[in-house]
Amino acid sequence: MTGGTQQSKRFLRMFLTRNEARLGLTIVIVFLVVAFTVAIAGNSVVPYDPIQQDVGPILAAPSAAHLFGTDNLGRDVFSRIVVATPNDLLVSVIVISSSFLVGIVLGGVAGYWGGILDEILMRSTDVIFAIPALVLAMSIAVILGPGLVHMTYALMIIWWPPYARLARGEALQVSQKNFIEAAKTSGTKTLTILRRHLTPNILNAMLAYATLDIGTVVVVYAGLSYLGLSVQPPTPDWGAMVNAYQDYLVSAPWLPLFPAFIIAAVVIGFSLLGNALRDTIEAQSIS
Amino acid sequence: MNLGVFVLRRLGLAVFVLLGVAVITFTLSHLVSSNPLVAWLGRASGNSALAAEYVQKYHLNDPLYVQFGYYLYALLHGDLGFSVFKGEPVSEALLQTLPYTLQIAFFAILLTLAIGIPLGVLAARYQHTVVDYSISGFYLAGIASPYFLLALFLLVILTYTLHLLPSGGAFSPGIQTPYPITNFPLIDSLLEGRWSTFTDGLAHVVMPSLALALGIFGYITRVLRASILDVLHANYIRTARAKGVDETTLFFRHALRNASIPVVTLASIVVTWLVTGTLFVEVIFAYPGVGQYAVQALSNLDYPSMLAITLVLAVIIVLSNLTADVLYAVVNPEIRLR
Repeated sequence: MTGGTQQSKRFLRMFLTRNEARLGLTIVIVFLVVAFTVAIAGNSVVPYDPIQQDVGPILAAPSAAHLFGTDNLGRDVFSRIVVATPNDLLVSVIVISSSFLVGIVLGGVAGYWGGILDEILMRSTDVIFAIPALVLAMSIAVILGPGLVHMTYALMIIWWPPYARLARGEALQVSQKNFIEAAKTSGTKTLTILRRHLTPNILNAMLAYATLDIGTVVVVYAGLSYLGLSVQPPTPDWGAMVNAYQDYLVSAPWLPLFPAFIIAAVVIGFSLLGNALRDTIEAQSIS
Repeated sequence: MNLGVFVLRRLGLAVFVLLGVAVITFTLSHLVSSNPLVAWLGRASGNSALAAEYVQKYHLNDPLYVQFGYYLYALLHGDLGFSVFKGEPVSEALLQTLPYTLQIAFFAILLTLAIGIPLGVLAARYQHTVVDYSISGFYLAGIASPYFLLALFLLVILTYTLHLLPSGGAFSPGIQTPYPITNFPLIDSLLEGRWSTFTDGLAHVVMPSLALALGIFGYITRVLRASILDVLHANYIRTARAKGVDETTLFFRHALRNASIPVVTLASIVVTWLVTGTLFVEVIFAYPGVGQYAVQALSNLDYPSMLAITLVLAVIIVLSNLTADVLYAVVNPEIRLR
């Protein structure tokens, strides 16, 4: 056990020496803190009620009173952006963790046993890969109707294939290693092999991918929200705000650009973190 | 395995995948409503004459597998249903919008390569310098941008600030759209010898394509950089260097050529991204392509159009993957052995 903690301490040290890891971690932590604070404390943490109209002049430029200005209805844009933070976090966490679970089970089993099971899995992922995630989510959305929960379902349905492929590839590699062979010959039960030997080895690679992927979910979700498929007005949501404000691109360009930049910042944070995680895992496996 | 067998196998896989996609759209069409007619006719399903015709045509009272058979039969004959809000068959609407999207996609791919390749070369050449780091910052920003950000950003800068390019549409108001010969407006305007229409159309293509290219070029830059650095450590490069080949020739003639091969594998990512990106770019720039059509179909709950567009986009992706796979096998014979 002590060996394990020492190993993870060394991993953390190697990880934190990377500039991109520190920058990514900072962005992600800020995002998480804001999201959790809003989720727990609600609208009381922001300076203005995000839905209340005429809290300031209409289309005011950013100022001390209104950090990101006000919109066409005199609502405080900063408050609206902050309050919308938990949506993206919620959707990404749910979609990523469900894909992770489904992927590791399907992929792990298919990679370990191979044969017809493997063939079926690989071909069905081929099919899902042929349709862009956002377009498939749109089709599903047309059927389910708009809404945060429905978008989450739509994304859960289509998001798992890369995870299954990743888990399958890793399982295939690991299953041919000597220690699995040894476990098999020594009479260890299959389920125990899967749980104790296979899963921990697959997890590393998948965790790095999942971190990178959170950003992708945020982008696709923002796209769906932009198209009006998620939260309905007046409840604020980043993508929907960009859409609602883009008519003011000439008179008040900060209105659509601020929420769009915030989305980009969150995605950059998770990308940097994921890249650093992957590079550290690679560097460690070489040493 | 020789190339012929390889191509045949890939073709078989592509057919299988498309069949799978048809299963998905068929399933969705039955989930739309308890009445599958809605999926074919949308709001026009109340029209009893039309409804009776479609029930008979798709055998909607028969078991599901029979229905699927007729569904496939209709698809293969180009019958994709009727779009109520367009007031015409879906295939007709697609025929009008798809060329516009392909125009944007064509220029977007050109720009992606024109930006992605030189930056990849520069980043590898000046590895671990300011040049390398700024390039990776630049492409990270592109990759991380949501689909609509780059389009809006370009609008603010190139149109509203610098007044360089038109803000949207396929042609300026007052310019007559060319008579459809090939259905591709840019090609048609050239065929008709209308040079000013062509340049006007071209000016309207620049920003949508650039918005797409700036979002995707980073994948090419990243892979090319890594691939060049890999190749530079290869034995044959050392041999060439030992033989006295000068560094520039070595880099461009020996390293770059081989390093470019892995870039082909990115075709799938690039095409998928372009297909998704056009939805947003066409809406923002009011460009009358499939993307705009899809978004209109979405807001009008036009199921036949939505499902047909899903299918057509999948066909585009599968075909481009197939092309990329074959191309990859041609330039890299090793892959055929696997």
